[in-house]
Amino acid sequence: MTTTVAPPQAPATRRPPRRRHRGGGAVPYLFIFPPLAFLTVFMFGPLVQQVWISFTNTRLLNPTGGRFVGLENYVRLFTGDALIHSLWVTVSYTAGTVVFGVGIGLVAALAITRPFRGRAVVRGVLLFGWAVPNVAASLIWLWMFNENSGILNRVLSWFGVDAVPWLTSTTWAPVSILLVTVWQVAPFVMLVLLAALQSVPEEVREAARVDGADALSVYRVVTLPHIMPTLRLVSVLMAVWTIRRFEIIYLLTGGGPLDSTSTLVVSLRQTAFEDRDLGGAGAYGVVGLVLALVIAAVQLVLERRAQKGSDA
Amino acid sequence: MKLTKVPWLVLVAVLVVAAGFPVYWMATTALSPSADLFSGTQSLWPQVQNTGGLIGSIGDIPILRWIGNSVFIAVGTTVLSLLLGAIGGYALSRYRFRGKGLVNFLLFMTQVLPEALLVVPLYAMFISLGLLNSMWGIVLANVGFALPVSTFILKSAMDSVPKELEESATVDGCPRFGSLTMIVLPLIAPSIAAAAVIAFFAGWNEFLFASTFLSDQSKWPISVGLASFIGQYDTPLASVMGSALVFSVPAVVFFLLVQRKIVSGLTAGAVKG
Repeated sequence: MTTTVAPPQAPATRRPPRRRHRGGGAVPYLFIFPPLAFLTVFMFGPLVQQVWISFTNTRLLNPTGGRFVGLENYVRLFTGDALIHSLWVTVSYTAGTVVFGVGIGLVAALAITRPFRGRAVVRGVLLFGWAVPNVAASLIWLWMFNENSGILNRVLSWFGVDAVPWLTSTTWAPVSILLVTVWQVAPFVMLVLLAALQSVPEEVREAARVDGADALSVYRVVTLPHIMPTLRLVSVLMAVWTIRRFEIIYLLTGGGPLDSTSTLVVSLRQTAFEDRDLGGAGAYGVVGLVLALVIAAVQLVLERRAQKGSDA
Repeated sequence: MKLTKVPWLVLVAVLVVAAGFPVYWMATTALSPSADLFSGTQSLWPQVQNTGGLIGSIGDIPILRWIGNSVFIAVGTTVLSLLLGAIGGYALSRYRFRGKGLVNFLLFMTQVLPEALLVVPLYAMFISLGLLNSMWGIVLANVGFALPVSTFILKSAMDSVPKELEESATVDGCPRFGSLTMIVLPLIAPSIAAAAVIAFFAGWNEFLFASTFLSDQSKWPISVGLASFIGQYDTPLASVMGSALVFSVPAVVFFLLVQRKIVSGLTAGAVKG
């Protein structure tokens, strides 16, 4: 089901020269067999089975007794409001994470690019959100979001602002989820961009400055184009990883209130283990997978185009 | 200090507070007297004299057992994904063979695969294999996601080991598998360590599979154990936060220590294939 989207050979074009490799008859297959067999049994096989399940009426209580029903689950999904809603939540959550996660990550990376006293400590603290396990992060934020005694509302009350129903209103719950997600992903973005920024050639920046460019122009003309490929890559990674995200939403709001935070993955699990409808859950999963693959394929195409552009 | 530095200082200060405060607050809450927590009088400063939260976390909750389970799951995930990843990475680094492009693509694919997609079929499979409600089942499910990352990291590390080293060893009569274990692996020890840490914390942090497949409280890892307190307002919050802290500290320390390795490993895995 994957071959329709991304060209399988694409990664191969970027490998170092072939002369390092040697043919070894059966030997390479002996090496590659165990990991591949493992993945086939525990990952690719189940994945194919999941796609199959999405065409059956399998129920949780009888997971092997499903009967083929064709596109029924998909028809039900696409004619109801739930999928459209889920897709909308997923796409806006993903877009928000990419925009704010990458934006804030970039600002943070720029802020600490140059060496200063205590930079190592500052960088360490900036990485906290990324290093704290998801479940622990959910617990802290759940407590900070607490409507009556949480610290966020306490701080707001010092300024005379009314308590915000962080997790219990359909307006604020998506905002809160996004806030936690950005807290978690921006550090990773920062780390990746920091590496890219440190490889910007100083002479080129110097030359631009000598030519009379101010700081902002130097950034726009020299720095930004240099880190562009990294920026694009990290945006795609964020998008793909956000579609997969589960813990934060599941633990903070469980998809509520009124499904305002129910992404595809959250809907999948609810359909499977609360509605006990494995077939319907499968259909959600396939939609999520297609979405992730489309994003990954866009990245591959852009990457190739950029490479062709630089070769020409 | 130059005046132009002031906005920069403010920016860094805002970032540090935004990034660091939640962790600070987790520690502060763990050390707060329980009575203060829900009355809105929690002190903004750590109450060092009150360590009840941290100690209580070991008393009335099976926290040690959950940590032990997490260690078991994480170590199992690490060992299995390194073993399989080393031989897979070796094949990809040293040999040219038919189907290599496909193998690369399949490994690359796993990076965009939502874990949730495997929950239902693995559930069905684990029932028939007797792996439901077993920590081994969780290990196997985790390895599916940790293995491709380990393979990529070890493969790119092996690429940097000169082939001549191995060739002279083979001339001296060293068998193929021997040259992997005796020549290549020792030379890439730092990358092995990085791959191990990534796999370990993937297992340590995992929640979805563990919370879906393990019904027995005594088999829960700490991630599931802690999550089970959500919504139960009679649980001592300070203890929960103390446990969350115990759960987080090793992860934070290790992530900070090997951050660069992790980033290059993850992005290499995601792009290079």
